[in-house]
Amino acid sequence: MRTKAIIAVISLSTLAAVAVSAAEHPGKEYIEKNGYKGPETCETCHPDTARKFLDTVHWKHASRVTNVDNLDPKQEYGMKNRIYTMCNGNDIVNNLKEIPRNAEGKTKFSGCNTCHPGNHLSDVGSSGKEAEKAIDCLVCHSSSYDFRQRKPSKDEQGRVVMGQDRSTKAALSITKPTVKNCMVCHESAGGGVLVKRGFAFNADTDAHAAKGMTCVDCHKTKDHKIPTGFDPNNWANDGVHLSCVSCHTEKPHKDEAYNRHTARIACQTCHIPRTGGAVAKDFTKWEKGSDGFYEPTTLKKEANETVPVYAWYNKTVSNTPHFIGPKGSRKDKSSKIYPFKIFMGKAFYNQKDGKLLSMDFAPPMATGDTLAGVASAAKTLGIKDYKPVPGWQTIYFGSNHLVTKSKALNCVNCHGVNGVLNFKALGYSDKEISKLTNPEIYFGFMIKKQQEEW
Amino acid sequence: MKKTVSIIMALTLMALGTVSFSRVASAEEVKMIGVIQKIDLAAGGKSATATLKDNKSGKSVAISITDDLTLDKFKDHRIVEGDEIRCKYETEGGKNHSKLFRKTAGC
Ligand code: HEC
Ligand code: HEC
Ligand code: HEC
Ligand code: HEC
Ligand code: HEC
Ligand code: HEC
Ligand code: HEC
Ligand code: HEC
Repeated sequence: MRTKAIIAVISLSTLAAVAVSAAEHPGKEYIEKNGYKGPETCETCHPDTARKFLDTVHWKHASRVTNVDNLDPKQEYGMKNRIYTMCNGNDIVNNLKEIPRNAEGKTKFSGCNTCHPGNHLSDVGSSGKEAEKAIDCLVCHSSSYDFRQRKPSKDEQGRVVMGQDRSTKAALSITKPTVKNCMVCHESAGGGVLVKRGFAFNADTDAHAAKGMTCVDCHKTKDHKIPTGFDPNNWANDGVHLSCVSCHTEKPHKDEAYNRHTARIACQTCHIPRTGGAVAKDFTKWEKGSDGFYEPTTLKKEANETVPVYAWYNKTVSNTPHFIGPKGSRKDKSSKIYPFKIFMGKAFYNQKDGKLLSMDFAPPMATGDTLAGVASAAKTLGIKDYKPVPGWQTIYFGSNHLVTKSKALNCVNCHGVNGVLNFKALGYSDKEISKLTNPEIYFGFMIKKQQEEW
Repeated sequence: MKKTVSIIMALTLMALGTVSFSRVASAEEVKMIGVIQKIDLAAGGKSATATLKDNKSGKSVAISITDDLTLDKFKDHRIVEGDEIRCKYETEGGKNHSKLFRKTAGC
């Protein structure tokens, strides 16, 4: 009942937001008069915002992680320092820089920490007054940001600086973050538009987007701590979480036939029947593009092009050099069946200790020499004794957007003879399976639906 | 009109799976990677023409763009001249209509 009320409020407020989106930011007049000088301008009225921002995942690209195997509980993990095969490096080994010249004599800037709201001089995880001043508030809060400004260049001292739009014009159109503001970075994660998750958020691909909801309607944020879920592949978090039942109830359906499933089956399983994005990459061999630069070989898929794999998940994660994925089982009552995209990446492992090595992309980008990339990363990390051998890593990606009602899985999708669930792999006995795949359990329900619809 | 078409497209897409998508469409779909030479936003901002130099043939191809997401990226300069684009288009009535228009980018 309470949750119903929450939804009613959200529905109303999304409508309201559309209606009054022209409402002006109360700070506008002040900014018009005094110009925009960076976070300090905002702090005249929103004190202490910048200092607190420095303590978030979006600034640190790391946090303590408590649900993943084989990690040091005292360390922080994230894009800053993790090594996996969706992108075979991290902010440290792939620090933003000018790459060596390619055969055509061309160079360019490349680095993972371009998706950071700092200016690179104050980089991932930096702190202090300089860092506070460097925050790009407007990349998330302006609706008229000029993205020509947001690119790397060299300053007089030869340092690589990430540009920002700090114009007064951009600061005059402050809003709470729109889908676009978030997608500036999220859309291109993993090496290009929709590569990582095929996560297109528009009316055609997501039922909530179709209702006019934005990212922050669900990812409700206080003090810039943005809540996240338990994607086995994405570890860093601000200590706050959200889920479908933050708003809906465990029993959201009129039909008890669906509600009875929510104890063991996650909402996502029925409501996100497709995933998308890259399914495999090879970091040991790079492809040469027409511009003479090389890129990791990638097998891409669009949003909704990939059929998920279903597995039990209790929100704790198995993490070994060749496997990152969900833990859980049918017997474990805290587990539910969730949908995942399985991604497989090929990269170099260290034969001496079996661990995955990382790669500095600058050398292979220029010449295709992937082992030079491994050598450069090893040098940065102080790894001296290694022997690179290629190997594959399997990663399970959580699937938490692309929600649909009309294409949600129905009884026959699962209980039909050729259903989407592999009951055997999920731990059901042959006897149970013959019952679970017999029309007896859904026939009556589906006939009633058929009569209603025709 | 445009909206109904795109809704129907989306539904067909979901119903049939994207594999058969191109068969549903009447015109043939061409895939191309090329660098943007010029972007012309129409007055009113409801459409744009981008001229791409096809990496394979070296020819200039004018692509007409009408989807809001891409138009918005032209307006705020997330996509600019000089960017390399992965593009799918269909030719109809002498015009190349963009079906997919994305910046290429590595990891
Ligand atoms: C002269 C005072 C003043 C200045 C300067 C100012 N603001 Fe505000 N801002 C306000 C007030 C008042 C509100 C409404 C009450 C609140 O939410 O705190 C507000 C609200 C907001 C909101 C919430 C908007 C919403 O629709 O929910 C955001 C985001 C915001 N400001 C960001 C900024 C940023 C970024 C800057 C710097 C570019 C800035 N503000 C500068 C006074 C100011
Ligand atoms: C276009 C922006 C962008 C770039 C560039 C980028 N990333 Fe990320 N990365 C993200 C976002 C957004 C996430 C988290 C959201 C998600 O997983 O969908 C993420 C997550 C990660 C994670 C998981 C972090 C965690 O908390 O567990 C790793 C590891 C990672 N990225 C590595 C890299 C590497 C290596 C590079 C450079 C070769 C890179 N990324 C470049 C946007 C980017
Ligand atoms: C990574 C994106 C991001 C960046 C960068 C960012 N913000 Fe925000 N900000 C948010 C989100 C998300 C919210 C919450 C919006 C909501 O829930 O309504 C928010 C809310 C706010 C609010 C409303 C009050 C509150 O705290 O909830 C203010 C004021 C604000 N931000 C100011 C700033 C200032 C000043 C900066 C730069 C120092 C900044 N923001 C940088 C994402 C960002
Ligand atoms: C400047 C680039 C950038 C922008 C803009 C941005 N993000 Fe992120 N976001 C990232 C990166 C990079 C990560 C991964 C960091 C890591 O895991 O180490 C991330 C992680 C996340 C996560 C998971 C970790 C956490 O903090 O809970 C969520 C959720 C998220 N972003 C939501 C949003 C939302 C919502 C917006 C818009 C208000 C937004 N992001 C805007 C770059 C960005
Ligand atoms: C309808 C609510 C809703 C909307 C709208 C929404 N999200 Fe989420 N998001 C979730 C939920 C719920 C989870 C976590 C689910 C779980 O793990 O159980 C999540 C997880 C995430 C994660 C963690 C990685 C992952 O995919 O699991 C990121 C990053 C993220 N969202 C970013 C965004 C961005 C960016 C937008 C807007 C383009 C957005 N979200 C819109 C509900 C939403
Ligand atoms: C922040 C709250 C929030 C979160 C989190 C959230 N939803 Fe919703 N959801 C809503 C609202 C609001 C609506 C629209 C209700 C309306 O207008 O009828 C909605 C509608 C829906 C619908 C019906 C869509 C339609 O076309 O009628 C489905 C299905 C749904 N949500 C599933 C999910 C799933 C699955 C998740 C988790 C991945 C989720 N929701 C997370 C608030 C939320
Ligand atoms: C076993 C599959 C299944 C599971 C699990 C499931 N749903 Fe559904 N859900 C459906 C189907 C199918 C529909 C469409 C029913 C219809 O159109 O009559 C639906 C409809 C909905 C609606 C729209 C309700 C309405 O009356 O319009 C919402 C909201 C929703 N689900 C949310 C959720 C949430 C939240 C969860 C997790 C707590 C969840 N569902 C779990 C299959 C499922
Ligand atoms: C996402 C796949 C999925 C969908 C959709 C689904 N089911 Fe199920 N169903 C399952 C699974 C898995 C179980 C076993 C759950 C457990 O272990 O408790 C189950 C169990 C059942 C059972 C209990 C069988 C027993 O053990 O006696 C019945 C009855 C049932 N489903 C009927 C239906 C009907 C009717 C529908 C449509 C309204 C439906 N199911 C939709 C996956 C599904």
